[in-house]
Amino acid sequence: MSNFVQFLVDGLTLGSVYALVALGYSMVYGILKLLNFAHGDVYMIGAYIGYGMLTALGGATKPVISIWLVMVLMFLVAMVGCAGLGVAIERFAYRPLRNAPRIAPLISALGVSFFLEYSAQLLFGASHRQYNAFAFGGGALFFKGITWGPLHISLLRIVIICSAVLLMIALTLLVNRTQMGKAMRATSYDREAAAMMGIDVDRIIVVTFIIGSALAGAAGVMFALRADASPLMGFNAGLKGFTAAVIGGIGSIPGAMLGGILLGLFEAFTQGYLSGQWSDLFVFAILIVMMIVRPTGLLGKADIKKV
Amino acid sequence: MSTEPGIGRDEWVARSEERRQRRGGFFGPGSELFMRLPWWVRWGMFVALVALIPAISSSGYVRRVAFDTLLYMLLALGLNVVVGWGGLLDLGYVAFYGFGAYLYAWLSSDQFHLHLPTLLTVLLVVAATAFLGFLVGLPSRRLSGDYLAIVTLFFLQAFLTIMINGESIFGVNFTNGANGIAGVDPFSLFGHKLVVAHAGIFNVWYLYVALAFFVVVLVALRFVNDSRTGRAWRALREDPLAAELMSMPVNRLKLMAFMFGAATAGLTGTLFASLNGGVFPASFALPYLITIYAMVILGGAGSQAGVVLGAVLVNVLLEVLRSPQHSRWVFYAAVLAALIAFVRPWKWLAVVLGGTFLFGIAVRVSLHALHPAWTGGSTQGSDSVSRLIGHWVAIPTSLGSGKAIAYVALIAMILALTTLKGATRMIAMIPTIYMGAFVWENVLAPKPEVTRFILLGALLVGVMTTRPQGILGQSRVEIV
Amino acid sequence: MKSRTGLFALLVAFAALAVVAAATASPAKQARPVAASAAAVPCSSAKIALMAPLTGDAGFLGVEQLSWAKYAVAVQNKLLGLKVGLYQGDTQLDPALASTLAQKYVSDPKTMAIIGPSTSGGVVAAGPTLDAAGLVAISPSATRTSLTIGGATVGKFFYRDVPNDAIQGPSDANYMIKSLKAKKVYIIDDQETYSTGLADAAGAALKAKGVTVIRDSVSQSVTDFSSIVTKIPGDTDVVFLPWQQPPQAQTFAQQMAEQGKKAKIFGSDGTNAPGKFTFKGAYVSNFAPDITGIPADKALVAGWLKLNPGQKVGSFGPPTYGAVQIAMQAIKQACVGGKVTRAAVMAQVPKVRIKQWLLGGSWGGFTATHDPVGAKFYIFQIQGDGSYKLVG
Repeated sequence: MSNFVQFLVDGLTLGSVYALVALGYSMVYGILKLLNFAHGDVYMIGAYIGYGMLTALGGATKPVISIWLVMVLMFLVAMVGCAGLGVAIERFAYRPLRNAPRIAPLISALGVSFFLEYSAQLLFGASHRQYNAFAFGGGALFFKGITWGPLHISLLRIVIICSAVLLMIALTLLVNRTQMGKAMRATSYDREAAAMMGIDVDRIIVVTFIIGSALAGAAGVMFALRADASPLMGFNAGLKGFTAAVIGGIGSIPGAMLGGILLGLFEAFTQGYLSGQWSDLFVFAILIVMMIVRPTGLLGKADIKKV
Repeated sequence: MSTEPGIGRDEWVARSEERRQRRGGFFGPGSELFMRLPWWVRWGMFVALVALIPAISSSGYVRRVAFDTLLYMLLALGLNVVVGWGGLLDLGYVAFYGFGAYLYAWLSSDQFHLHLPTLLTVLLVVAATAFLGFLVGLPSRRLSGDYLAIVTLFFLQAFLTIMINGESIFGVNFTNGANGIAGVDPFSLFGHKLVVAHAGIFNVWYLYVALAFFVVVLVALRFVNDSRTGRAWRALREDPLAAELMSMPVNRLKLMAFMFGAATAGLTGTLFASLNGGVFPASFALPYLITIYAMVILGGAGSQAGVVLGAVLVNVLLEVLRSPQHSRWVFYAAVLAALIAFVRPWKWLAVVLGGTFLFGIAVRVSLHALHPAWTGGSTQGSDSVSRLIGHWVAIPTSLGSGKAIAYVALIAMILALTTLKGATRMIAMIPTIYMGAFVWENVLAPKPEVTRFILLGALLVGVMTTRPQGILGQSRVEIV
Repeated sequence: MKSRTGLFALLVAFAALAVVAAATASPAKQARPVAASAAAVPCSSAKIALMAPLTGDAGFLGVEQLSWAKYAVAVQNKLLGLKVGLYQGDTQLDPALASTLAQKYVSDPKTMAIIGPSTSGGVVAAGPTLDAAGLVAISPSATRTSLTIGGATVGKFFYRDVPNDAIQGPSDANYMIKSLKAKKVYIIDDQETYSTGLADAAGAALKAKGVTVIRDSVSQSVTDFSSIVTKIPGDTDVVFLPWQQPPQAQTFAQQMAEQGKKAKIFGSDGTNAPGKFTFKGAYVSNFAPDITGIPADKALVAGWLKLNPGQKVGSFGPPTYGAVQIAMQAIKQACVGGKVTRAAVMAQVPKVRIKQWLLGGSWGGFTATHDPVGAKFYIFQIQGDGSYKLVG
């Protein structure tokens, strides 16, 4: 029984990271109908920015200010840095291709992805950079937390899940309650009509990229706190995040959140109860079946084309 | 009359003036004569050129690279059918390639102790891979565009997972796991075993076999494209709904596109497996797919000449960039060629080139005067060209964290350059080019293996943003 | 329309470049391909080539090996009075590319020896080419046992200066049984060939002595091991990780501690990295003691650190230095009358003896199966300050 709860918590932690990455994919697809393959690499740059921030502030064992403040700063700087990167990518790699056949921005995204991955290897080296979060506050992150019999939920997991939930709530409020959010929803529904209603579509697209990339940056830092930063980490995370977005219904924001959590839970449970070898295969098999049975995903809208 | 693509504008009519005029410029009469030749003469010239490569160079390496490029060309032709002609985004294409290679290995190695004759194996593999293409294409009836891309991508991942973990599926060792299957038979034609290498040097006959396969596939696909099926594919690509309304069997067409593409990939897989004497799952991963897509789109999807050109360009570029000396040639030649091609009129070109040269000398002299260590380093090679360049570019003895700063600064300058116009742009080019040479010598050239992919990525972005239809493709308006 | 001409010019430029590259990639006068292998080349233009994954998932491995290979070439050139150059080839962890690279080096008559291929898959793929061309290869990290022992060996051209999995598996297992008193061992492999081979070897050795062995596997792309950790039964004594990525081992150990699992962690030589795998109380096995602890190597390590500031000495680098040292010594010994051939170098490699072997003791040559003589594994335990203490 306690194993089950542990798997549940594992899945939620994994799922939070996937959900944040999936949100970026979904939002961009909703507005531009573009599968942004460079998104995973923005996530990777976020992890590196976090590492740079951590080293600049003294490192894990000798921080110049309180370690909790360092963590907050890492998140903030990574989010801002990635938002800037996302804006640059949109401006130079996607905007000139707004009216081109859809495969052109896709290849452009792949080019940006290659460029970022190998630039990171060029500048930061091929070896993994460890945050050493284990040593934060003398091990507080790992050893403090909720303990209940054989079950132990560390503080780090709680921090990750809570920050992800906070970010998702903030995003939902932004999209549903503000003027900007309304404009975003309108643009993703019908870009031309939104332009005709006086919405500055270019600005909305930039805002979408800012939000999506900032979330990816936060996800990168979260992931690297539990593991480490490496130049090719964006590849796998991008694939998983993309999978999550598809499960929930690509183009739908609540879908991306749901898809991310579900993917994380699914992975945790298959790795736990079945073999680690075949868990990947099960995920992909279920996905293929789902795509054939319900291609729009769990929460996506059926795409009705008007002729 | 503008030749920009647009709805309601017939490009053929808009281009009529061009066709009537004689082509001007340096290459004008030559290229016009070239275009007047029948297609098989033009392709024949290309094939003859490839066949003459062993005569130009007896290095086994060059022949091996030519063979690898032929493999890529075949794959590009196959992908062109699916993406360029059918307009279907198939992100799982390499799975067919891998399946063809593994099937050949199963039929001609010690894995299951089967050693079927080559001709039979190749035919079986092509047929089986076409059938797999049919199966994968079945969901395409209900899915469109991006959803098809997603399903095929997951199919590729599932395929890879099975191949990597396949050493005990229901107790049978299918794929030998991550080790791959070794000891695969080479081709044997008419009783002669086609040895893979003589004393370690690549057997040039494999190049000819690959060339023969290439010619067969090229001609076959061209005939298919010139037929009713090809016209139907074009209609399907432009507007699937209208095609369906005109009573075209859209589903059957999609399946046919998948099958032809898969069959080509399977054929290429047999070549790959027999030459390498083994198949390994690492050869069919996602980066390979991205490279093939880059070749197809760069060259121009929908045009056979385009995708072949794309394949040659990308693969040769990647190979040439492996060695620091050759990559320097490529870099500087590419910068020069780009300047010559795109900076007009000529006096501006002279200003830019002269200005860059003088700017470089000025910077280097001033840096040297300020602090000798700032120009104390040396270039990668030691031939005369390297030393000449060493006098022009400032190479500090050790750059440290300045590398990252210089690199990011260069990217920022290039991006800023794209936003400027006119005379400001020309003047701004001067420091940008110098910074580019600086970053090249200090940061990029010492690590050629990483620089290859950075340049490929930059090339992709650059070509896509300026010419989305690729080099030889036709600009289209997509009706969404 | 003017952009078309520009494009055309670009294309012509590239085509010209390709032809130039092709022409300069090989000497024009090459009568028969066989001549490349037997050609006598002046000793001062001899080259050795490193074949390692410099990019991709295993990029950290190749890059480390490259830095040590470059350092070794510089040092040995000075010591032996040679002018050997180093080629670097990126196999990208793809064995088919290893095959093409092998072809490249075989076709260049100046290449006298190969350092690598780093991965066992690469050795298998490049093997036929190198064997037929008579080009000797000394690998610092390809440890699959079947390469030199058993019915399907790759050929006489292949040597390695690190022990194979057949030695490491049983020696790790013995330590676990004798010193750690393990009755239940959980083995997790990472689905790569090095890992599965070692896991099989260790598992077999453990099972033969009656220890309960549970196998699991996780793909290299997974970095969140929480579910795997949860699955580990509470009464497991040892968790054996035959992995190649020290940072992953570190993450795993931390996640084990997070969930309060008490099993001891035992990593293979792939996880040996004093800078990265620093989890207190874990055990690591390696075929050599940590060279930063060997007094005779102090100058050597200092020199490397000077060229690579801010980096730590790993476990893949020093064997590469050793392999380069053997190769260059062989070239020196084979250099007769100012000329050297591949056959002569291959004949000299087993005869090389080095008094001060950087991995400890002296280098006594290769066994009949081309493995290092006197190979043994050392077991370390990681202390509180991250240093490795020899315990077995």
